[in-house]
Amino acid sequence: MTDARDRVLGAVRDALLRATLPHSAAVRPFYVVPDDQTTKADRIAQFTSALIALTGEVHEAGSLDAICDLIAQIARRDNATRYLSWSDEAIECPGLAAGLLSRGMRRVTYDLPVDQAGRLGAARSLATVELGVTGADAALSDGGAIVLASGPGRGRLASLLPPVHIALVKSDRFYGSLPALLAARPDLVARGSNFVVVAGPSRTADIEMMLTHGVHGPKHVHAILIP
Amino acid sequence: MSDAASHDGGVRSSSAAHLASAAFHTRIDEALADGQLQRAISFTADRLATGRATAFASLPHAEELRNAAQRIRAHTVAHLDRYLVEFTSNAERLGCHIHWADTADDATRLVVEIAQANNVSLAVKSKSMLTEEIRLNAALESAGVRVVETDLGEFVVQLAGDRPSHIIVPLVHRRREFVAALFRDKLGATADEVATIPAMTAFARKTLRDQFVNAGMGISGVNLAVADSGTLCLVTNEGNGRLTTTLPRVHVALLGLERLVPTSADLGVILQLLARSATGQSTPVYTNLLTGPRRRGVEGGAPGEPDGPDQVHIVIVDNGRTRLLGSALAEILACVRCGACLNICPVYRHIGGHAYGGVYPGPVGSVVMPGLEGLDAWSELPQASTLCGACLDVCPVKIDIPRLLLELRKQAVQQRLAPWWLKAAIRIFGAVATRPAVYRAVGNVVGRVGSALARSGWFSRLPGPLSAWTGSRDFPAPAAKSFTQSWRPTRRTREARP
Repeated sequence: MTDARDRVLGAVRDALLRATLPHSAAVRPFYVVPDDQTTKADRIAQFTSALIALTGEVHEAGSLDAICDLIAQIARRDNATRYLSWSDEAIECPGLAAGLLSRGMRRVTYDLPVDQAGRLGAARSLATVELGVTGADAALSDGGAIVLASGPGRGRLASLLPPVHIALVKSDRFYGSLPALLAARPDLVARGSNFVVVAGPSRTADIEMMLTHGVHGPKHVHAILIP
Repeated sequence: MSDAASHDGGVRSSSAAHLASAAFHTRIDEALADGQLQRAISFTADRLATGRATAFASLPHAEELRNAAQRIRAHTVAHLDRYLVEFTSNAERLGCHIHWADTADDATRLVVEIAQANNVSLAVKSKSMLTEEIRLNAALESAGVRVVETDLGEFVVQLAGDRPSHIIVPLVHRRREFVAALFRDKLGATADEVATIPAMTAFARKTLRDQFVNAGMGISGVNLAVADSGTLCLVTNEGNGRLTTTLPRVHVALLGLERLVPTSADLGVILQLLARSATGQSTPVYTNLLTGPRRRGVEGGAPGEPDGPDQVHIVIVDNGRTRLLGSALAEILACVRCGACLNICPVYRHIGGHAYGGVYPGPVGSVVMPGLEGLDAWSELPQASTLCGACLDVCPVKIDIPRLLLELRKQAVQQRLAPWWLKAAIRIFGAVATRPAVYRAVGNVVGRVGSALARSGWFSRLPGPLSAWTGSRDFPAPAAKSFTQSWRPTRRTREARP
């Protein structure tokens, strides 16, 4: 195995002696992300119209009760009674689980087993849950995207397996673009094993270029803006 | 001795080149005769090319971003050894297993071994051109591992036993009726389940969910890997890339050894351009960054992550890339596989992806295929271009594809892969053009005879070896009066002025 590493790296070094590469500089090029001149209100407005253009929905809720009512209302459309979720702590919304429980919604918690049989069994049962709820580490006005970093209490499947995904987005986390976010929060990328930028519902245009939603991921994406 | 050997090689490769050339022309004729294919490709390519133009029109600092992306990728390729070492040591530190493969066979053997070590009988796969290149599915199937493509287009291509015809839109050559018939025949779909495109999509979701929750291994390609964090970036719209890298216990990522960027800030620059170039989207639905296997908790201490793969294997594949790197074509290794050059190319738009014959079609493929596998089998591809430069205009990392195609044409002549009549014609032209008197005389005769024989200014059929040209397009007739004849009197008039 080490042999293969030495061979391939050796071949690379050997080839670099002969390579014709215009435009390459010895020093790593540096791109300065242009200053974001927009205000927070601009960014939220742009995020909202971009997500709506992708068939997502944007809501606002000022209190825990209002948040729970909204989620319960969305859940009723799809007869959802169970949901996958980040922990209240990760969403930064204490009391959410209890509030939703009092509205007839049960949170399904999980920790995928390491053994193969246990893992497949868990995956099959989680795939039947109708709704997913997460927080958001950031939102991008460019593209109407939300950013989710994995971690303890921050499962990836909540935003992936169920047909409906609701993200609670704190209003102070809006950035103009992905480069702007990466410049401001370089720590986010490798904080967990997964950092994902989600722009609206899952989509495909593979058959005759016809846009169709919900092919593998959620068909409906909601952002609830919270204080 | 060495002369004789190289001459023999020349003869052999020349005949191989002619076989490949005949097959290429047959494929082109078939593509041009297929009216449905023509409509499907021009419709799709138009949509994607227009989408790209619109997306770039609304992107602030687009040209600065393209320049930056060009510099980032060129710098990375020029220091590939350093960034490969940095990337792999970071990925290993996070708990990833790194494997190195010189050839396609090495790469597929490594993946088969990983599958066997984990008793995997079913693997789900997210779209990857590299796995097409190394024919991974065939290797896994023959080792008893079933592989299911999960990108909708690739899923259909796999069911049909077909090949993708576009880097981004593999199913560009098929219509909905084809998919409907396939789902009914192969998967037992009902009439309702294939009544509309959304119904077929829902049917595919249901069918593929069953595969996802039963798969022991997920296989993906990598759009770009970040050296300073050991991160893999995978971009999809459907979400199959996320499912493939989240649900199964084992994730195997196949990485072409050139697909690196130094930092996540560099990745951010290229991601601003990638989806806009590929599909005209400002942001793809899922930009998925993977940094190591899931983080386990400490017994009785800090909790871990609830999901994600417990094993991540990264197979770094050479398979001809170092050959490309050590050549005059190295610039093509900056490619990020967006497919924009396909959509804009007047040749691709007429013949489609399959006619090119290689895994990578279009302008990029015409450089990559001969670069990876040698010119012998692919000497015709660099000719399948008008050198109009549209590919360079749309390339997000500004690769000078026309320059590389010309370089390949030059190599083909040097390696004696050009047809004999072309070499003979060029020699005759050289002899004529270096003798002004002969040149003028020949010009006069060709002009007078040519213009008299042509019909409305064009030849649709020429004799002998020249028919190779008129077999697929008309040849313009020369003007009755040669340029020298027309120009002379004009110059005298001008000089006569006071």
